[in-house]
Amino acid sequence: MPQTDPHPPIIENEAADAAVYDAVIVGASLAGCATAIQLGRAGARVALVEKQPDPKAFKRMCSHYIQASGVPTIERLGLLEPMIEAGALRSRVHAWTKWGWIAAPADRAGQGINLRRELLDPLVRTIAAETPGVELMLGWSAEEVRREEGAFAGIVARDREGTRRELRGRLTIGADGRDSRIAELSEVPVKTYPHARFAYGGYFEGPAPKYSPDSSIWFLDPQWAAAFPTDGDLTFYAAMPTKDRLAEFKADPEAALVRFLSDVPDAPPIRESRAIESVIGKIDMTNRMRQVTAPGLALIGDAALATDPLFGVGCGWAFQSAEWLSESIAPALDGAEPLEKGLDRYRRRHGKELRAHAFFIHDYANGRRFNPAERLTFSAAARDPKVATLFDAFGTRQIRPQQAFPRILPRAVAVNARHALAR
Amino acid sequence: MSATVLRSRLEVAGTRTRLLQAGPAEASEAVVFVHGNPGSAEDWERLVTAAAGAGLRALAFDLPDFGETVAPAGFEHDVPGYATFLGEALAALGVQRAHLVLHDFGGPIGLVWTAMNPEALASVTLIDTGILPGYKWHRLARIWRTPIVGELFQATATRSAFRFLLNRNEPRGLPREFVDQMYDHYDRRTRKAVLALYRATDDPGSAAAGYSELMAPRDVPALVIWGEHDAYLPSSFATRQREAFPSADVHVLPASGHWPYADDPETVERLLVEFLSGLTT
Repeated sequence: MPQTDPHPPIIENEAADAAVYDAVIVGASLAGCATAIQLGRAGARVALVEKQPDPKAFKRMCSHYIQASGVPTIERLGLLEPMIEAGALRSRVHAWTKWGWIAAPADRAGQGINLRRELLDPLVRTIAAETPGVELMLGWSAEEVRREEGAFAGIVARDREGTRRELRGRLTIGADGRDSRIAELSEVPVKTYPHARFAYGGYFEGPAPKYSPDSSIWFLDPQWAAAFPTDGDLTFYAAMPTKDRLAEFKADPEAALVRFLSDVPDAPPIRESRAIESVIGKIDMTNRMRQVTAPGLALIGDAALATDPLFGVGCGWAFQSAEWLSESIAPALDGAEPLEKGLDRYRRRHGKELRAHAFFIHDYANGRRFNPAERLTFSAAARDPKVATLFDAFGTRQIRPQQAFPRILPRAVAVNARHALAR
Repeated sequence: MSATVLRSRLEVAGTRTRLLQAGPAEASEAVVFVHGNPGSAEDWERLVTAAAGAGLRALAFDLPDFGETVAPAGFEHDVPGYATFLGEALAALGVQRAHLVLHDFGGPIGLVWTAMNPEALASVTLIDTGILPGYKWHRLARIWRTPIVGELFQATATRSAFRFLLNRNEPRGLPREFVDQMYDHYDRRTRKAVLALYRATDDPGSAAAGYSELMAPRDVPALVIWGEHDAYLPSSFATRQREAFPSADVHVLPASGHWPYADDPETVERLLVEFLSGLTT
């Protein structure tokens, strides 16, 4: 990690002229850093503001699984090789259902990537800090958003000693997560969707799960569990039960997690493993879908769409939404078109790519059991490799629901009809 | 350690019940499996083998008018009647201390016996059964308890209807051979016994408070296994077993139904063997 000046010479005080950037990004986690890297490489001057003063800070409550959909973006960012060097595992997904395991043929399954956030976050932040044009400001929080002529135009940041600095920018970017302060300050419209499950997880060392390095998830209908092998021969075990099981997890999170994972069918070797740190949980995971742009403002990552961690889409979509924004506003930053045109392009891209995914994810987040269409799809995917391949492409978010279902459903009907006749 | 299950007949209480046993035959402490409805000694073959593999004497037998066992004349098809039979069978087998493994209606039968013989209870494993405070009968039981309707139901329970009914409420379905074997034993005698047993049991939850008061101070080692999707006895009762067995180890199997030992036999076997091994080491 390079040395970064925690007090860059932007302005000396509020009365002085504010520093002016092409973009002021709030949040130096995955989405914020990825955007800073891409905008910096495009020649923009970027302020990257992060409230955590520690350059090695990382998000603790995260399964860290990055879906295959996000890997091309990671590759274009130049992150894939450093991640592999840091120990990341390329990982497919095997999904247990009551109809059997679903796994696309190995040569057709999407490959995600697993690297602990403890390693990933500092890695991405280092690359961002080293990118020309990017000024990383650690230990600074967004206190106000600035508006000029009806558009957002930067922020007022404050450090832990109370020093305030104005950071003006043509574009203000909220990359500050599910509870985005920027979204709150800018009062962009938000829709919330209830979440009836809770999550506990932790890193264990011990025997590798059955399909390692591939990940295993259990759709226990309605409960859910997972084992994500990762760097350092560790496995991240996670459970997302419905809230009627909360008391036992609160009483002793590690014991409850071990019991839960060891009681699933075809159980992973969690009982033969040892937790290397505390098992931690998240109880309120209300899904939030925000309007992703406003004049002079864009939201990316979880700040734009904070959805159910059950499907492991957050990290991948953080990288992807960063890329969609960077590409969308590139012409505007070059002066080739108004910024609002680029923001409108980003808004449409974000909606096109993720809105339908989010609809189905939010619908399942209420703790319900499978509906008939899901039973049809999951059962057929467990019985037929072609359905499994389509299911995998959808689950790893490489194709959208509107691309997946017209191809999956007719085949699923045929597969299940054949199965019924064969019995 | 693999154990061989011996099959024989046990003369007791005026009948010859089918007996499965394994492990040290002379031991006065034994793991005793009590089946539910519909069920029989056959339900337990795998677990009898596993318990004996853990070094314990293991026993399973048909309750009268279930499986292949005919009830003697005048047998009372109610919980006290079956609990009395259980006690007589244990006495005949020389069992002085029992690790009871109970399922379904085997629960009330076994628990009533433990209330009468608390000193003889070494441990209890409750599989989708136990105390049921506030429980109201499930729909099928209400049908069985209704005169004429119950008889009509039993008369029309064909093999395919039986398969459909059992599997309808099971999250993963049950193995075909398990259901077929159950149906093979679901003959006219068993059907009549089921009606009598359910009709004699008005309020299955009424004894819970008194039983808990009696047993809780003893804190008998207990293992509770419950299929989360049990359509007959809701899994919300699983943790309530701690009212009678405060230190119970409770496992709600997230992918199982009313017969976890049939739909997830590996997990049930592992839990039982670990529990029993923990008691004997």
